[in-house]
Amino acid sequence: GLDPGSLFSLVLLTVALGAQALTPSHHLSLSDVARLQALLSQPFTDLASAYYSIVGLSKLGASVADENIPVSNETRDILLAAVSEDSTVTQIFRAVSALSSLGLPLASQEVVGALVARIAKEDNVLAITTALQTATRLSQQADFGGILEEIEDLAARLDDLGGVYLQFEEGLEATALFVTAAYTLSDHVDTEPPLKEDQVIQLVNSVFSKKSWQSLSEAFSVACAAAALSNNRFQVPVIVSAQGPATVSHNQPILQLLVTDVLSNPLASASVVVESAQAVVSKNVILTQAPFSLRDGIFELNFMTSQPASGYYQFSVAITGDTRLVASQVELKVKVSTEVAITNMDLSVVDKDQSIGTKTSRLGRKAHDSHQNFAMTFQLVDVNTGVELTPHQTFVRLHNHKTGQEVVFVAEPDSKNLYKFELDIAERKSEFDSMSGTYTLHLIVGDATLENPILWNVADIVLKFLDEEAPAAIQSKTLYMPKPDIQHLFREPEKKPPTVVSNAFTALVLSPFLLLLILWFKLGANISNFSLSPSAVLFHVGHACMLGLMYVYWTHLNMFQTLKYLAIIGSLTFLAGNRMLAQKAVKRIAAEQSSRLAKYRSLR
Amino acid sequence: MSNSVISVISRFLEEYTTKTSNKLKVVDAYLFYILLTGALQFLYCLLVGTFPFNSFLAGFILCVGAFILGVCLRIQINPDNKGDFLSISQERAFADFLLAHTVLHLVVINFIG
Repeated sequence: GLDPGSLFSLVLLTVALGAQALTPSHHLSLSDVARLQALLSQPFTDLASAYYSIVGLSKLGASVADENIPVSNETRDILLAAVSEDSTVTQIFRAVSALSSLGLPLASQEVVGALVARIAKEDNVLAITTALQTATRLSQQADFGGILEEIEDLAARLDDLGGVYLQFEEGLEATALFVTAAYTLSDHVDTEPPLKEDQVIQLVNSVFSKKSWQSLSEAFSVACAAAALSNNRFQVPVIVSAQGPATVSHNQPILQLLVTDVLSNPLASASVVVESAQAVVSKNVILTQAPFSLRDGIFELNFMTSQPASGYYQFSVAITGDTRLVASQVELKVKVSTEVAITNMDLSVVDKDQSIGTKTSRLGRKAHDSHQNFAMTFQLVDVNTGVELTPHQTFVRLHNHKTGQEVVFVAEPDSKNLYKFELDIAERKSEFDSMSGTYTLHLIVGDATLENPILWNVADIVLKFLDEEAPAAIQSKTLYMPKPDIQHLFREPEKKPPTVVSNAFTALVLSPFLLLLILWFKLGANISNFSLSPSAVLFHVGHACMLGLMYVYWTHLNMFQTLKYLAIIGSLTFLAGNRMLAQKAVKRIAAEQSSRLAKYRSLR
Repeated sequence: MSNSVISVISRFLEEYTTKTSNKLKVVDAYLFYILLTGALQFLYCLLVGTFPFNSFLAGFILCVGAFILGVCLRIQINPDNKGDFLSISQERAFADFLLAHTVLHLVVINFIG
């Protein structure tokens, strides 16, 4: 049995769902099993909790005190009578369990018939699961046809959550009980359960994702499911995780893997093989078909013998040895880390006028001013292999102790992996706020694959800036103070020209009207032909009204009102005008005819 | 060169004053007035600025529109053009003129702001 006292912290590897098969993301670690056992070991308060505790613990392999209960004939008759179509499935289950636990005979075929009939009436998940459980207590000679197909039907009712979880909407307990019943029954009748590999893994994820159980019955169902999944004749899900971080290095060249079932029991009979180990960045395949060796229940492989360069590697691991294994193909990401060393460090001061370094000197205090550039070159190599490295972080940090200013630059490698850092003091003076003084120079080297990140005070340099401004408060201090209020500026009205100008031009624009009147007078235009007929009067009045309406429109009305008035006045004016013009036309034609007649007569 | 221009102009003026009927001259005077008004508005805009731009546009377009309608009226009532406008009597031309002006005024007053 397991030792509940030992707490083992395991890192759960979440294996990425790649194009390959699904792998379990949850299982019961040893600490989880311990917790489950503790919950089930609580003292019983009633028959139900006694049942859960006793059976649950026995499933987990823990020992339980023996209970001996005497049975009378009446009890036996009651139990037998309960097995019929009229009892609920739960009642049938309890009766059958009691009868079989007490060793009393029962008619299996009758039970099957009753169960099938009840399933048709009670079509919910829990009832069918209970029916499956009942069937496991019956004799193997019975005909389980009607019951077995319920496993597949129930499996179809599971909800797929994101492709990772498969569970009943009734919850964890229902799912766990279903898993238990399905496997127990399949074992009992020696038929492979109709569950696909992916479904099994998703069920594993659902059942073991919850690590603290609210009720005794929930804990019981999880314990039963764990026992069923780790020990049945057909499908045993495999859990593969790295022992500690999945990192190897020169000091720790061995990659250790834990290969267990869902209860964290190691599968000693399995054989674990690396099918391929491929570098993530360069896609080189370093290793193929390398076996792990088993030592003390842990599978080990010395990866450093293949002399991999530092970086990340994708391992494809296959577990064989048992036909029952499910999820036996696993992808693992392994990091190979190394130590870095700085070599060929060169500090120099370069005069801007010349492009060649004036002198190369080692550490010490250096004074620079705006006419000179400060240059630093170095190389980063792998201590173990001598290969040049390009870590993610290579920074040069300049820190002024007095003002607390800090400026960070990035050193970049050239094509030959030689790191170069050049500081043009005049160009960068804004970053330094033109503060002259002593700056400590640190070189920072870091990377995920480096075991020894470096923070090295390389030198102290004295910088002198020309035209030094008065030391302004460091910007960061004012950065988080409230900013000055912005007053809203309303849209200023446009500038109008002075009134005098406007008035003058108004008079000017109106003046041609005077000119028109003068011209008309000179031409002899007159209104002597004005007939005072009512239509003429009405027309002119109407027309004047329309012009007046235009003015009122400008000052008071909107388009709709204007159109309304215009329609009224306009139609009146139109009618009057029509009449007036018709009369005029008649007069004109009569005049023309008479003048033509006169001309004709005079010709004769 | 200038001689011929001057002679053309003087000939034109002479013919105009003698041959054109009074009615047409009245309309011409009106057209001239409209032209002047428009030109003066444009001058203001050039000199002082386009400040109430919509007002300037309204006034200017009114002048342009009135000028066009005036020209149409003049063409239609000119007895020399009678052949082209057989179905349109003088009164009809005038009525059209008035109607078009009503619409023009409505639009311009809407726009003058």
